[in-house]
Amino acid sequence: MIGTIARREAQALFRAPLAWVVLAATQIIVSWQFLALLDIFMEEQPRLRALANPPGITQAVCLPTFGVTAMVMVLLAPVLTMHALSGERRSGALKLYLSAPVSATEIVLGKFFGLLALGAIVWLLNALMAATLAWGTALDYGTLGAALLGLALLVMATLAVGLLFSSLTSQPALAATGTFGFLLLIWMVDWQSGQGKTAGLLAWLSMPDHFQRLSQGLLDTADIEYFLLLTLGMLLLAIWRLDGDRRAF
Amino acid sequence: MADDILLTAQGISRAYGPHPALCGIELTLRRGEVLGLLGLNGAGKSTALQIFAGVMPPDAGRVAICGHDVIEDPRAAKRQLGFLPEVPPLHPDASVDEYLTFCARLHGLASAAVADGVREAKRRCRLEDVGGRLIRNLSKGYRQRLGIAQAILHKPALLILDEPTSGLDPVQLAEVRTLVRELGRDHSVIFSTHILSEVRAVCDRVAILHRGRIVCDQPLASVDPVLRIRLRRAPGRAIIAALEGVLDCEDLGAGTFALRVADADATAERIAAAARDWGLVALEHDENALERTFLALTCRDDTPDATADAA
Repeated sequence: MIGTIARREAQALFRAPLAWVVLAATQIIVSWQFLALLDIFMEEQPRLRALANPPGITQAVCLPTFGVTAMVMVLLAPVLTMHALSGERRSGALKLYLSAPVSATEIVLGKFFGLLALGAIVWLLNALMAATLAWGTALDYGTLGAALLGLALLVMATLAVGLLFSSLTSQPALAATGTFGFLLLIWMVDWQSGQGKTAGLLAWLSMPDHFQRLSQGLLDTADIEYFLLLTLGMLLLAIWRLDGDRRAF
Repeated sequence: MADDILLTAQGISRAYGPHPALCGIELTLRRGEVLGLLGLNGAGKSTALQIFAGVMPPDAGRVAICGHDVIEDPRAAKRQLGFLPEVPPLHPDASVDEYLTFCARLHGLASAAVADGVREAKRRCRLEDVGGRLIRNLSKGYRQRLGIAQAILHKPALLILDEPTSGLDPVQLAEVRTLVRELGRDHSVIFSTHILSEVRAVCDRVAILHRGRIVCDQPLASVDPVLRIRLRRAPGRAIIAALEGVLDCEDLGAGTFALRVADADATAERIAAAARDWGLVALEHDENALERTFLALTCRDDTPDATADAA
């Protein structure tokens, strides 16, 4: 059942021009950064070689590129997810699901996996860009793997946040604004204190801190847990919200 | 006998903010019944049907479909349910075939049965010619029929249709009525409308909803049979009222009488025989009986109620 709903969601996404525009915009921005970083790396290479512990191409080009993708996801996840439940609530199509023998969990997970199909393309294009470098040079596959894992987790979490806000309202624009506000908040919540200086809740909430550690190749279970908890929490709240449509609390 | 009851609604209430939409609705539907839910605009028809279908929670009361509570045991209840909301829940970007296939899977049809189910639903709703068309390009009538196809394709025991004929042209209207009548043979149907002739055309039972309350719930046969006769030499009301099969006789003046009767055809024959000496000039079924009941129930301006609402 989850598969059926996921397939339908992916189909709906790819039939509308929105997904293609988002994919194209992401790819143009990210590959532009990728090429620019590559260019700088080539120019600076003689000087870098003089350093005691010079950064390799993976650290200097791939990881910052993934950072750009992460930022772009924060900007575009709201647009991708706003129609998933919000649009269907507005058009009345949500009643098709609510009157069918499917649970709120199946609906939310189906929608989530459908969205992930699009997230997977963003992720795959990043991985492919990094892989093109293997043609001319040696890559640090350990670091690259950790960074790609971090990117995958971040994409998942941003889409889950979007899905929650999409479940809350029947106005897609409101859902997008809510998603963007929330993602931006957890993106900059720790800015004023300088990275890593504060401890406690604020530092833990800050999404870039967790992502940065992963994208530097530091596989810390605490960071992986952060993204999994965020994703799971958002999905659970969305399920709870959808269940409230059929059951009064 | 309990197996025969497909829908029970007990004490359903629902308010939108301070405005009560439904107050203590009680309704049961038996297998094979076609129930018309009548009401003026804003009477609470859509709210009631959405609560019956389990897509909106009531503030109080419970609904069971085939004995399964729609809130406690939604999966079992909804397996028996086909629901057409006021606005058909379509996917504009999909084709008719894709959409129906998706609905079939969503309703848990086995993979082997999906193609047959879709073909059968398309046949019944006359959608064979548009299978490959995108839903966004379909006319209103086709969309409405597609909404009905979606509701019937898993052959549910209970069909809830919210204004299935709204916005259709007369030809489509007749088609959808025929379809609902056909569906009434294998399914139990509740449908809402504010068009009286529709109820007369397809229902065997009528419930009238007014200001969130069911003010009338009876078999259509017990509402309808009224005969209107005109006599040149009327014998007096009491004599006519005493005829076998006549329940009530109203003198409308100028030799015209409205008779509420138990069995319209049998009584009409009897009256024609008895009225030979009374100079019978007209004998007809009064098609407006339902209208009269409806208007009497809904246009009563219950002033105490209205002032209570205002207060």
